[in-house]
Amino acid sequence: MLLNRKGSGARWRVRPDGPDKVTGKLAYLTDMTAPDMLIGRVLRSPHPHARITAIRTEQAAALEGVHAVITHKDVPGLNRFGIAHPDQPVLCEDRVRYVGDAVAAVAADTIAIAEQALRLIEVDYEVLPIVDDAEYALTDDAPSLHSQGNLLHRNGFKRGDVITGFDNCAHVVEETYYTPRQMHTYMETEGGLFIFGEDGRLTVYAPTQHGFMDRMQLARILAIPQSDIRIVSSPIGGSFGGKDELNVQPYGALLARITNRPVKLHNSRWESVRAGLKRHPMKISMKTGVDCSGKLIAHQVRIIADTGPYATLGAEVLNFAVEHVIGPYRYDNLDVDGFSVYTNNGMSGEFRGFGGNQAIFALEGQFDRLAEKLGLDPWELRLRNMRKSEDPGPFDQPIALTEGAKQVSSAMTASTLWQERGKLGTEEQQAEPWIRTGIGAAFTMHGAGLGFGIPDPAGGRLTLAADGKIEAVFSYEEFGQGLIATLEQMLIEQFGFASEDIRIIIGDSDVVPDSGSTTASRATSMMWKSLQNLRPLFEEAVLSKAAEFVKFPARQLRFGEGGVYAIVVNPDSSAEECLITYPALAAACGEPVTCTTTFHFPTSATEKVGAHFLYTYSAVAVKVEVNQLTGRVRLLHQYHAVAAGPVMNPQGFLGQIEGGSSMALGFALTEDAVMSGGQYLTKNLDTYLVPTIAEHRGTIDVQAIEELPEDDSHGPRGIGEVGSVTLAPAIAAAIYDAVGIRVTKLPIDPELLLAQSFDQLLEKAVSGE
Amino acid sequence: MAANAQGVAEAPFVWHPRSAAEAWQLKATLGAEGVFTAGGTLLRTQWESGLAAMPNHLINIGEIEELHGLELDSETGTGGFGAMLTLSDIRTSPQVNTRFPLLTEAARSIAAPSIRNLATIGGNVLSMVGDSIPALLIYDPVLHWHDGSNGLKEPLSEWLSTAPVHAAWKERLLISIELTQPTMDSNTKRFVAYHKVGRRDAFTPSVVTAALSMQLDSDTRLSDVRLALGGGQTIPHRLETAELFLNGQLANKKTITEVYALILEQYEPKGDAFVPVSYRKKAAANLIASELWKAVR
Repeated sequence: MLLNRKGSGARWRVRPDGPDKVTGKLAYLTDMTAPDMLIGRVLRSPHPHARITAIRTEQAAALEGVHAVITHKDVPGLNRFGIAHPDQPVLCEDRVRYVGDAVAAVAADTIAIAEQALRLIEVDYEVLPIVDDAEYALTDDAPSLHSQGNLLHRNGFKRGDVITGFDNCAHVVEETYYTPRQMHTYMETEGGLFIFGEDGRLTVYAPTQHGFMDRMQLARILAIPQSDIRIVSSPIGGSFGGKDELNVQPYGALLARITNRPVKLHNSRWESVRAGLKRHPMKISMKTGVDCSGKLIAHQVRIIADTGPYATLGAEVLNFAVEHVIGPYRYDNLDVDGFSVYTNNGMSGEFRGFGGNQAIFALEGQFDRLAEKLGLDPWELRLRNMRKSEDPGPFDQPIALTEGAKQVSSAMTASTLWQERGKLGTEEQQAEPWIRTGIGAAFTMHGAGLGFGIPDPAGGRLTLAADGKIEAVFSYEEFGQGLIATLEQMLIEQFGFASEDIRIIIGDSDVVPDSGSTTASRATSMMWKSLQNLRPLFEEAVLSKAAEFVKFPARQLRFGEGGVYAIVVNPDSSAEECLITYPALAAACGEPVTCTTTFHFPTSATEKVGAHFLYTYSAVAVKVEVNQLTGRVRLLHQYHAVAAGPVMNPQGFLGQIEGGSSMALGFALTEDAVMSGGQYLTKNLDTYLVPTIAEHRGTIDVQAIEELPEDDSHGPRGIGEVGSVTLAPAIAAAIYDAVGIRVTKLPIDPELLLAQSFDQLLEKAVSGE
Repeated sequence: MAANAQGVAEAPFVWHPRSAAEAWQLKATLGAEGVFTAGGTLLRTQWESGLAAMPNHLINIGEIEELHGLELDSETGTGGFGAMLTLSDIRTSPQVNTRFPLLTEAARSIAAPSIRNLATIGGNVLSMVGDSIPALLIYDPVLHWHDGSNGLKEPLSEWLSTAPVHAAWKERLLISIELTQPTMDSNTKRFVAYHKVGRRDAFTPSVVTAALSMQLDSDTRLSDVRLALGGGQTIPHRLETAELFLNGQLANKKTITEVYALILEQYEPKGDAFVPVSYRKKAAANLIASELWKAVR
């Protein structure tokens, strides 16, 4: 089904949070204020690597209007944070390892006073040699950034023997690919409001993708029970993985505790760039060989990921990259070796695509190059090596069986865009011979969920509340992806409720069950599964109550708009009638009726940590225009075939693929947080360039393939990330089609695509004078 | 930055003079403590990035009427652009587009709509690297200053050549920019073009900005060729050697190839961490050569 408004009919709904967002009426958590609120600010290291020899805060503390100045000495609990491996100091004790490292924090009456207080804090540093390159970090010459050295994590996968494999290859392609330090660039920068109540409990109003994880980490830092912390975490002005880890929360919580006043922190864009997470820059070297028929014989990969100074999810991102450099193909011999390496560069961490973006760019590039050596169509080479539906996953692990690979491949090759290949017009080229167009495509299977070996709980709750509202309660977060809209649509379509019957409650750790994180393309799948589990329970619980009151057999009752319905048989006519409204039913029940479900994200029967069980398949074709006068690339048209099971919310699905693709366009063409000597050269959005609406003048078609095997019990697959991982290699392939130049480094350097001389440019267009 | 005794930042005092003389007098009195401000869009970015400190006094020149004028004289082909005209004013004026189309095109390409509503042509020129400058340079631009006495006229190119090193102009107030339309010789056609190449398509600093204007007669002989280049931190300027070379030549492949090589050799842009000099040279040469090629095609 080609997703669009017209084809979706009544399923194309106005999203419940839409009007308030587009009118600016909606208040985000960082818009909140409180009476007597203080402003918090964080002093960060100016050096990428230094020893701290002294911190003097007296002058700052003496400034009128300053209520607290804190250092590492003021952290009562664990002075570290990090979702998977807490090694990042809340406030550095004796050493700083990047320019975002926090050394002190202040709370003051005004922004100006807080900022002046930061200037009055004296920190003596002894500058240390820096490690600003991940490969250098692995050498014996490099200073060690942590007691265990500079290697955060190493992971790989082997099958057969690649050395012998390459001996038996007819063609071998060796290439090294580089990907940028991409920034999430959410519209709402990190921030929050932190209030200790009279009951001694802390309430945190701060965006995050996993409220319960923040609660656990903050309890550990503050040395207070988790039950003494309430996390209010939605709505969120964008996250894309960037707000899953703690950011300003430890400082807000500590300052609020010490001052006993509400404290607000809100990063400027400058501070967000300096301290915040980025996508891991990776260097991926690949050697891939085929026999003369194009069958993959050997694939050898080395991944170097610059994880920056601290762990956060660096190890998990590497695991994902290791899985996705293997991808949806079968190889006789395989040797993948990946390194996630500490450096004094900026923090790398979780980001939509989670290591897949880098891996797929490299892997798909190998297929295009090998196909050329073989004289084969690049898609034909993919087809010859593509996994069959019954094949195991990349790590040889059992995976949920679908026809996704074949489905998206068939859809893409049948698309009018792909059919246009080789038939691109020459008329425009005569008028402006420096404009060249080309078509390219790429393919992927992208894993969802956290993977084997990582706790990945799920669940939710449905309640007929005292006021008659049907409450759907989950710990998932709304950060713009349309989660609320999708949940509402599922409740309407699967249960028969009207939107007015429903109250959705998310983003408050005091009232929601732990449904796990809103990450890894998992929330829609887990909400769907929860509702599948809850439906019989809720029907049983609520309809049996209704049966008592309306004197009708429960099995003849059903949920409907506004209340419970049944077919009432009369002598002259039979019709379905609402027998009792939800408010009346709730009143009659006297107390809320609640059903809960808890389960685990489905995982594979494997021992390989991080291996996935559920995958989304995607094939993307693009048409680009290369202007050889300027070397600049314009994306004219995109086609995405996505096999992710049934579409829960067509608008949301389309939005995720379009939005992911927009991020991928930046990844491919313009975005890079450039660093030199451990310092950011791109400090703000004037030099860090995300695509604007001008870059989106091209058209985009999204084909959703909904068919799943009959016995599939997993329902809709994740689509939050897949739109962002396949575009870059498709663009690279299209550029080659247009101008015959291979791209190995993102974002693509326009100088690479410039005509080498004006003569060359006009060769075809001008004959003689 | 303006600060109290404890060093805590305070907002600058804002003056609102009603005449150029009053503004000039304020600046003379306040000295380095006072800074003229028009749209304030560039100043803000300088304060935020730490390139400049927020001054104790801002002199808002927005209420001086004579700075808002747009006078177009069809007889002389001249135009007087008040320094306070916003880039949006210029972009949306049909008269400006008819007479000085390159300026319209330049205004269209600068920043984003909300910024163009505030940012002024005067501010764009005085930044020394504004994207309006290559377009203005095609129209023999002259700056009109208030200097406390009789006023001062100075060709824009002359000011650009000394402004980075001689800061005396900072004491003066820019009143307007005077432009002159090129005259047309009989039996010729005029070709004009403006290109701004950034690292993305919109709302982006320029990497290469090129403006050109030329006449072609029926034999495709070139005359009155005017070429200007800028972009990034390169101070825009006319390419006099290339203009001299092109004037009188037939616009054929040989000429285009030669001028391409000449620009590569002579244009000396500044590079930065994002785009090297080599790219800027090649893209500039490509753009100008392509316009010559299009003109004769």
